[in-house]
Amino acid sequence: MDAMATPIEFTFKGKRFRIHAVLSRWCEAGGWWNRVSDGRYRPDDGARALWTVEAAPIGALATFEIERDEATGRWLIRSI
Amino acid sequence: MKPQGDGSFDRFSTAMSFIHLRVASAFSMKYGTTQPDDLVERARQHGAPALALTDRASLSGAIRFTKACVAHGIAPIIGINLPIEITPKDKSYPRVTVLAHGDGGWPHLVRFLTGLHMNKGDGELRITTDLLEKFSVHSTQLHLLHGPQSPLSYELAAHRADKALDLFNLTREFFADHAIECVSHLIAGNGPGSTAHAARSLIFARDHDIDAVITNAVRMRDPSDGPIADLLDCARQLVPLDYRHIERRNNQAYLKNSDEMTQVATEIARAAGEGTPRALLKTTREWAERALLSPQRDIGLGGIHLPEPHIVGATSQSSMRTLLRSRVEAGIHQRYSANKDVKAARIRLDDELATVASLGYESYFLTVADIAQMARDKGIRVAARGSGAGSLICHLLGISGVDPMRHGLLMERFCSPLRAALPDIDIDVESDRRLEIYEMVFNRYGSPSLHLPGAISRAATVAMFDTYRARHAIRDTGAALGLPAAEIDLLAKAMPHVRARNIQAVLQSLPELKTLNTSAPLMAMTVSLAQELDGLPRHLAMHPCAVVLSDGGLLDRIPLHINAGGYPMVEFDKDDVEDIGLLKLDILGVRMQSTLAYAVSEIEKIEEKKIDLDAISLDDEKTYQLIQSTRTLGIFQIESPGQRELVGKLNPRTFNDLIIDISLFRPGPVKSDMISPFLHSRHGFTAADVIHPDLAPILAETEGVVVFHEQVISIIATMTGISLASADEKRRGLGDKQSQQEVCDWFFPAATQKGYPLDVITKVWEILRAFASFGFCKAHAAAFALPTYQSAWLKTHYPAEFIAGVLTHDPGMYPRRLILDEARQMGITLAPLDVNKSDASYRVECDGGKKSIRIALSSIAGISDHEIASIMQARPYIDMADFVARSGASTPITESLILTGGFDELHSLHTGDINHRDLLLHLSDIEKSHSVKSIKKGTSGAQMTFGFTPPALISSGLPNITTNERVRHEVQRLGMDITHHMLEFYAPFLNAIGAVRSCDLLAQRSGSDLLVAGVKVALQTPPIRSGRRVIFLTLDDGYGCSDSTFFSDVQSSSAGLLYSTSLILVRGVTRRTGDRGISIRATGAWDLSEAYGKWQSSKVAI
Repeated sequence: MDAMATPIEFTFKGKRFRIHAVLSRWCEAGGWWNRVSDGRYRPDDGARALWTVEAAPIGALATFEIERDEATGRWLIRSI
Repeated sequence: MKPQGDGSFDRFSTAMSFIHLRVASAFSMKYGTTQPDDLVERARQHGAPALALTDRASLSGAIRFTKACVAHGIAPIIGINLPIEITPKDKSYPRVTVLAHGDGGWPHLVRFLTGLHMNKGDGELRITTDLLEKFSVHSTQLHLLHGPQSPLSYELAAHRADKALDLFNLTREFFADHAIECVSHLIAGNGPGSTAHAARSLIFARDHDIDAVITNAVRMRDPSDGPIADLLDCARQLVPLDYRHIERRNNQAYLKNSDEMTQVATEIARAAGEGTPRALLKTTREWAERALLSPQRDIGLGGIHLPEPHIVGATSQSSMRTLLRSRVEAGIHQRYSANKDVKAARIRLDDELATVASLGYESYFLTVADIAQMARDKGIRVAARGSGAGSLICHLLGISGVDPMRHGLLMERFCSPLRAALPDIDIDVESDRRLEIYEMVFNRYGSPSLHLPGAISRAATVAMFDTYRARHAIRDTGAALGLPAAEIDLLAKAMPHVRARNIQAVLQSLPELKTLNTSAPLMAMTVSLAQELDGLPRHLAMHPCAVVLSDGGLLDRIPLHINAGGYPMVEFDKDDVEDIGLLKLDILGVRMQSTLAYAVSEIEKIEEKKIDLDAISLDDEKTYQLIQSTRTLGIFQIESPGQRELVGKLNPRTFNDLIIDISLFRPGPVKSDMISPFLHSRHGFTAADVIHPDLAPILAETEGVVVFHEQVISIIATMTGISLASADEKRRGLGDKQSQQEVCDWFFPAATQKGYPLDVITKVWEILRAFASFGFCKAHAAAFALPTYQSAWLKTHYPAEFIAGVLTHDPGMYPRRLILDEARQMGITLAPLDVNKSDASYRVECDGGKKSIRIALSSIAGISDHEIASIMQARPYIDMADFVARSGASTPITESLILTGGFDELHSLHTGDINHRDLLLHLSDIEKSHSVKSIKKGTSGAQMTFGFTPPALISSGLPNITTNERVRHEVQRLGMDITHHMLEFYAPFLNAIGAVRSCDLLAQRSGSDLLVAGVKVALQTPPIRSGRRVIFLTLDDGYGCSDSTFFSDVQSSSAGLLYSTSLILVRGVTRRTGDRGISIRATGAWDLSEAYGKWQSSKVAI
């Protein structure tokens, strides 16, 4: 991922969340010497970017379309 | 996740590109991961107008960094990151960074670093308050950055802003300006390196009205270099990889581009409550602009700084010119007597002096002459090496012993107005007295007060950057990764001396390593990471022979420290000092010069006459006869098997022949077969082809073959009418493909205009093109030929003294025992070790006109210099008990002396009453009586004899040690066989099986199948491109040497034996290589003693 990029939303336990504020961000890497397994040209440095954020589920209020199939009687929920 | 760029950054990045103020390169040894030029290249790709280099406690990378900046068109900023101790702290010092400002700050930066080095005593280099006071004259010209590792930063991290301010005030008056350095490596938490800490630093700066700048404290080029940084951390501290031992917490300390830096700046500014990073970036930019250095004006690239006139005994530049002229004029009358020679010398001298004057190099010549003279005044032999021998000035000043006029050597090859670089004069001196010359140079040109500010010195030794090659890279990487020590050892020892990046390739090509499982994960990781360390500097060593000389401003341009040898040493390497125009003089210790001096002093002692080797005639018939006989063992340059073969074919009759011989014996001419056409026309098989009568005088000496650079230069000058200096430029152009084409395009029309027909021009051009790259500088070869001739002359007329010198100083490629053998064959007696007669070195003794060489005490394995001195000091000894009591020799050494005949004369062993075994028993009796009386060690020798009655020496009746045992002891304890040749013992066996003596080899027909035997003298395996190695074995059998070649087909059965055994029997087929050359293609090899054993038992069986 591009180092300049900041996430704005994500899906968590089936729910999408919108990020309202980044409280902090940091980067971590290292410990590659504990993961020596395949002797690759570049060791696995485990570089990662981290954020702590305030976020809330998206769509607390939304419009859905609900439909019943008259032949079978099954319901469909479709978001708009 | 959807990434999204922040629009506000872009405005800044387009307006202003970021300049890094804190960058550690690989010259922050075992810390930075990237070479300076790679960093500069990346900065230019980012569009940065400038880049800083702030290595840790070093300026070693400064010159190459500056050159890279020039090449990439950006401006250099240079500073140093230094440990500081201004409050009592633990042993890992905090660090600050000082920058040279652009208004003449560079000399102060250099002198500040030198000052810290000279005053560090036994401790680590660091800034202290005392040193700041002492060197405030320099520090007040520097800018100071309080970075995340500074004492101030640590106080801020501990929320003690008041203490931080105290620290700030403590250093305030010592520096020209200060800034708080805000660094966020985006580390978690709020310690140094985190955005929170950077913001706190920014707030502190704002609160107290201090400038704040942002840097990235760079130590690598790419985020992916992190593991290399970790390895270097571990290699530096000699610890295994662990979070505790490595500095980084993530991969952010890389050379970020403007956008990335602006983002970090924005985050810091926001965290500090500032709306935009504009102020932070603006101040950073201002600080960078104030620190821009000029590569020429500040760093001094391209300048020339030779010792001032008053140092060489003149008052001004023009009086220096007069001085140089009068010195060389005086030389003319010393060296030339014939009117015509003097006249020719005058004309040439005018030319040379004009060139020197136009370049302003008078001081250069006078300084080198001064040093050569100082050495001679102390009786140390000096000879010039290299192209300097082409200059008549060098000859007349006594720097070079070869007469350039007589041998057609050209000044232009050495020094020309068309080349800006300082010419290179190297001088060869006696190897064992080289350091005396260093002392003289530093006494005269150095300074005793380097530890004071404002010191003036004009001389220093030069550094050499010891870089990571295969072995060290494997050792350091393996140790950090925790590879078992035995495996590291195995891998490292198997590595030839190749670049680290070639480890993988070597592993695949070495059959010895096939058994190693290099695909095991840890091993594979070690190999792949070790390759990444390729070429990183790991250590600053002293260049083995270079000394730099300059004017009184030397310390303004180069940082010095005192190296392990106790000499002041520049932190730059030889290329760096040349780039900033300092005179670099190579003073090489040459063992042959020591050998020559030793032989001359032995002659003086024995014959009571003084020989001036530099004045002997170069036309001595007998000397050339000796060389032609190929009995050249011990003679400089022409003793190797290959040279003996060539000398045999070439039959040198004159000094010029020797020059040609040395020029021809190099890989280029050998490969391109320049030698055969030369030999053919030399021996009259074919007529020399000189192509055109105009070229006859140039090519006659080498039978029409172009051998020397000087000939190429003369041919070009003759056929086109340009000057020799311009012709030398053209010759240099022949070296690479592109400029070769340019020379070609110029040469054809230019020669046509001079009236040469096209076929001649084409033919000449073909020769120039083909041979220019293989040609050799004749001056170079001539300088080498002089000690070759001198040593041959000594060997001819004073063989005993010469061989004593060779044995003492060991100048050549052969082991001592072979040299002893040579002495024996020349009819010189070898006098055995004798406690009362042997010296530290090999002495010549003369008894009624018959000369012998006395074996030296130093030949005993394990003897110390101290023991030698004390044995010699307490002489003479009346018997062995006396020796044991007073000589200070250890028991093993005394035993060695007994077994190698050291007491034979003292105890009259020749009468047969007692023998070596009795002496050994006697020694143990003496030792026992010593321990009974418990005489304390350390009491002086004279007192120990007092009241001490030694046990009586009586015959035990045991048989003496056998001749064979005796020789074995000699070989074990002295490394050579003195009384008998090792092979004598096997003579009956060798005669029985019909082995050929090496002196009879030449009488064998080519292609005959035969046996030779001998002691292994040399075993060489030159690297062959195809990967199939060839082993060359030289055996000595007491009658001379034989050379056998083992190709891969016989190696599987014999290679192991060749390496492990020293007495070898070889079966092979002969091949004649010339009049006096014969070599053997081996078909088999056996251990001689084993073969002998089998023969013995079969005899018994019969």
